[in-house]
Amino acid sequence: MTKAGGGFAVGIDIGGTFTDVVCTDGARSTIFKLPSTRDDPSRAVAAALARLADEHGIASSAITRFCHGTTVATNAVLERKGATVGLIATEGFADILELGRQMRRQMYDLALKPETPSWLAPGARRVEVRERVAADGSIVTPLDEDSARAAITRLVADGVEAIAVSLLFSFVNDAHEHRLRALIGEIAPGLPVSLSSEVDPAFREYERTVVTGFDAYVKPRVAHYLAGIADALAARGAPCTLAVMQSRGGLAGTETALRRPVRLFLSGPAAGLLGAASVAAAVGIGDIIAIDVGGTSSDIALVEGGRPSVRQEMSVDGYAIRVPTLDVVSIGAGGGSIAWVDGSGGLRVGPRSAGAEPGPACYGRGGTDATVTDASLALGLLDPDGFAGGRIMLSPARAAQAVADVAGRVGLTPEQAALGIHRVVNAQMADGIRLVSIRRGIDPRGFTLVPLGGAGGIHAAALAEELGITRVLVPRFPGVLAAAGLLVAPVAHEVSAAFHAPLAAVNAEDVSGVLATLDARAAALMAADGVTPSDATIRHEADMAYVGQSHTLAVPVDTAAPLAGLAARFEAAHARINGHATGAAVKIVNLRTVHEATAPIVVPTAAPEPGPSLVAERQARLPGMDRAAPVPVHARARIAEGAAIAGPAVIAQEDTTTLVPPGWTARALASGALLLVHGEP
Amino acid sequence: MNMERFDPVTLEVIRNRLDMIAEEMQLTLLRSSCSPIVKEGLDASASLFTVDGVTLAQACAIPIHLATLIPAVAEITRRFPTEAMREGDIYLLNDPYAGGTHLPDIALVVPVFTAGRIIALAATMTHHQDVGGLAAGSVPTNATEIFQEGLRLPAVPWARAGVFDETLTSVLRANVRIPDVFIGDLHAQVAACRLGAARLAEAAARHGDNTLLTAFGLLIDRSEAMTRAALRAMPEGTWQAEDWLDNDGIALDVPLRIAVTATVRDGTIHFDLTGSSPQARGPVNAVPSGSLAAACFAVRAVTDPAIPNNGGCFRPISLTLPEGSIVNPRMPAPVNARSATIKRITGCMLAALAGAVPDRMPAPSAGELLVMAFGGHWADGSAFVTGELLAGGSGAGPGYDGVDAIETDATNCMNLPAEAMELEAPIRVRRWSLRRGSGGDGTFRGGLGQVKEYEVLSTIAAPLSFSHRGERHAIAASGLAGGGPGARAVSVITRADGTTETIASKRVTTLAAGDRVVVETAGGGGWGEAARRDSARRDEDAANGKIVLEGSA
Repeated sequence: MTKAGGGFAVGIDIGGTFTDVVCTDGARSTIFKLPSTRDDPSRAVAAALARLADEHGIASSAITRFCHGTTVATNAVLERKGATVGLIATEGFADILELGRQMRRQMYDLALKPETPSWLAPGARRVEVRERVAADGSIVTPLDEDSARAAITRLVADGVEAIAVSLLFSFVNDAHEHRLRALIGEIAPGLPVSLSSEVDPAFREYERTVVTGFDAYVKPRVAHYLAGIADALAARGAPCTLAVMQSRGGLAGTETALRRPVRLFLSGPAAGLLGAASVAAAVGIGDIIAIDVGGTSSDIALVEGGRPSVRQEMSVDGYAIRVPTLDVVSIGAGGGSIAWVDGSGGLRVGPRSAGAEPGPACYGRGGTDATVTDASLALGLLDPDGFAGGRIMLSPARAAQAVADVAGRVGLTPEQAALGIHRVVNAQMADGIRLVSIRRGIDPRGFTLVPLGGAGGIHAAALAEELGITRVLVPRFPGVLAAAGLLVAPVAHEVSAAFHAPLAAVNAEDVSGVLATLDARAAALMAADGVTPSDATIRHEADMAYVGQSHTLAVPVDTAAPLAGLAARFEAAHARINGHATGAAVKIVNLRTVHEATAPIVVPTAAPEPGPSLVAERQARLPGMDRAAPVPVHARARIAEGAAIAGPAVIAQEDTTTLVPPGWTARALASGALLLVHGEP
Repeated sequence: MNMERFDPVTLEVIRNRLDMIAEEMQLTLLRSSCSPIVKEGLDASASLFTVDGVTLAQACAIPIHLATLIPAVAEITRRFPTEAMREGDIYLLNDPYAGGTHLPDIALVVPVFTAGRIIALAATMTHHQDVGGLAAGSVPTNATEIFQEGLRLPAVPWARAGVFDETLTSVLRANVRIPDVFIGDLHAQVAACRLGAARLAEAAARHGDNTLLTAFGLLIDRSEAMTRAALRAMPEGTWQAEDWLDNDGIALDVPLRIAVTATVRDGTIHFDLTGSSPQARGPVNAVPSGSLAAACFAVRAVTDPAIPNNGGCFRPISLTLPEGSIVNPRMPAPVNARSATIKRITGCMLAALAGAVPDRMPAPSAGELLVMAFGGHWADGSAFVTGELLAGGSGAGPGYDGVDAIETDATNCMNLPAEAMELEAPIRVRRWSLRRGSGGDGTFRGGLGQVKEYEVLSTIAAPLSFSHRGERHAIAASGLAGGGPGARAVSVITRADGTTETIASKRVTTLAAGDRVVVETAGGGGWGEAARRDSARRDEDAANGKIVLEGSA
């Protein structure tokens, strides 16, 4: 493989078990997996660069882009291995982090657990400073610098490794927070600081404090991690900077990423969704619903017009954190979900899961409960010797036994029970799809379903039929979509500001003025990541609500005439999503700008291998078949472009199995993807 | 039962769908409502009912709403038989003496049709911020008759066949302090019910309406069977508990008794509240649906919360509620403060059931949800009404400390962020912290209460109306297994001139510019002997400011 004019781009997604690598020069792609090195992920990066050079002839000096999806921020939280954080709050409000919103998630539990992440900064590491800003931004009490110095000195003496600053109404007036950062810099030069007015400038002090606390908590570890990878690149002489994926689906340079590391949660899933969107875009499809069926859960997201939707809150380790994130809904149903029989003889599936250990009964690792994967095997949908590329040998006998146990308790034949497990779990997944589509006022029937990950292809066609969707697009390499997604991700930065005002009291110049300020800040972030202004597309949004409401809806703003049609667009969105529009007074809550520079689409593919694609026949019962019968099994790698396979059929490949039920036809496209269409011969 | 012949898989698919529809209805309510108590406090719920008035599915963020729509739907269908309902009808009700709970909770019911046939009812209940009456926020602790508590609606149609009754709309608007918010929130209820109706009609089109109706009956029977089985698994017996409410808001030095005798026998559970105080002059009376909600919560908590929540769960539960008592008052006794009573009833039911499951039951929680309402006019003449809901600490249990400032038992409301309050009302929050030392001592410490201080700003046109409805000011949450009691709640008004007034649990007054209120909520009870507390836990508590060290108070 030779180097093209633009050099090579490398995408590396580091997961818990495997590190996926995709390298392309725009014309051809190299794809491989390496074992992850959890203790020091930069070793996997070094190994990947070495393998590219040694086995594929791609010298590190030819790599001009390096994009990375990481779980370092998430792992720091899940493993409680972040920094020792000190928190500075307004006098009288040091406990906000621990008081939270007082609601309990487990409503009927007798033994309650704390709902707030107070471990980020327990009482001993929370200090107050004398200051107060009013709701309108005016200063009620000026910052008392003596109390501030004393507070900072105390935290530093206690050995904190990072400081979070969250003052009341800092989203309206950030002067005191900025002054505190300067004072921290004087007292403890180089100590990482997170300001709530920069991390999350929006109202509700608990929510803002939580996201600021998490930002400070992960900052030192993320900095260390990214420096390690940058060193690995430099050591091999790669002439490129490191770009990392943020949860909202845009790349950021190391320096900008480190300013708000809390935005790196969900880096990997965001990249996977972009990968799915690019696979669809390559064949001219802009409206997709992506479903990644994992072991314990399934992640579902909707992309409309090529653009995934973004929401302003996400969940990590059960804590709600206000950061912009691709709108991925996670439901507790996956391949490992356990089927069980409730007290009145009803068949239930999940939310308990066998996970990876012991895993489904058919893994033979000690699990005896019937899972969705066991039902799949019992129905003949999976090849016991070819699962996960042959790395896991499945035991049909163990699966049959586990399914038979459930069947006996619910009064069904084993085959009925296995079908029933699939129907129940498919119904749950379909409800998840309804959440991202119908719930948002979007009819899913015009969308194309894109299964990602290993188990999606088993369920995709059945899910599509349940929802009236007629097209399913299976990527050529669904297992490495996240790494591929990194290569197509835009450089993107989002900057917002609180702007509390009833629409009737707003004049257009004020809105334009705030947006201009935000644009300047976003442009500076883009410039820092090497994007020239002419390459960026810019969108503006206002978060709006009826006066009195708390929940906002994002409405596009036209900077040429910022107020024109704004109320009508809000009312239309409110009617679409909440089912009614009242014509009452409307307010603006936040203004936002999004700058994006997109990369050309690259979809990893591979030329077909020689030989007939029909490799076997297997006794199986697919959805839509009234009994088990011999079903043709095709090898994905051998299906030639344009070839059509009518259902019923099973299409097997190393990293997934796709079912083509009766009434469906699968066709291999030039892009390498497989398109399943319902109702066409 | 024809369960043998009905495909159990289809049944499970339909059950998931019903739960999802109820959740989606509730999300619509919470997202689009204006009342702070709904949008921050989550005080709203959504249900689907059979045409016979049995709950099919319910999404409730607050257990107090469990079962409370049942008498409302029953009354509406009694007055307006379902056979005569038409597509596009909307019914309202809030009269506690005819199916309601208290006046701010308005039930709104919409019939669900498929191909011209009524197959179900979609119902929502929202706590409206203001429904008129004696004081802004409609929770006057000094009310002595229901007529003072606000607008009272018997079962009435608001729309027939899609046409709204504008006369009724104008009457509604004329009786409340913030009519735009009120009508807006009613429309959020309408939208939620219509959404539920549309989704259920889609399910009927998919499965067939006869299949759906058969499934409804089976699902309800199954939940009943599961609840009975769970009750059968408990030891049989009769256990008693009692606890006290501070006062009724009128006679401030007279505590009121809640007494519960719980009997578990042969797959049923009976709660007898005989011995509870006679009905009160003040508004702490709770109509029977309140005790039913408490019982439903207690049964779910001690059995299996995974049992699908529908009307079948309620069938094994029976109640004895003496007429003329605080738990079954006669018209026109006031009832607006009933949630305090329901919380105490729930606490007593759980305490009684500790006899059945002694190894699982924690010490009593503060069981306090302090309700405050502030209302008046800005200097420019525009009106505001805002509310606050503050919890105390939870009880410690065998092996764990209580949780600080957390909602417990029959309520689960969020507090109001200081920034949310200051953006919407001429009030400044001066302090908000954990209440150090308020948790009951013990081998495991009770959860702490919280402290919040408010100051009225000079941007008001005239002194504002202030309602304060506390509990645990007079009688503390007790400890268990040798643990100490939690601290009692304390609330003090400091007037602008420096004079102070301690609030005896409940009070309606006015606050002028410069007046301050400091509220301190109660702590949860401790569990086990204090002498046996691990010293590391004590040291950690001291470092984190959760306890007051001797000599340093």
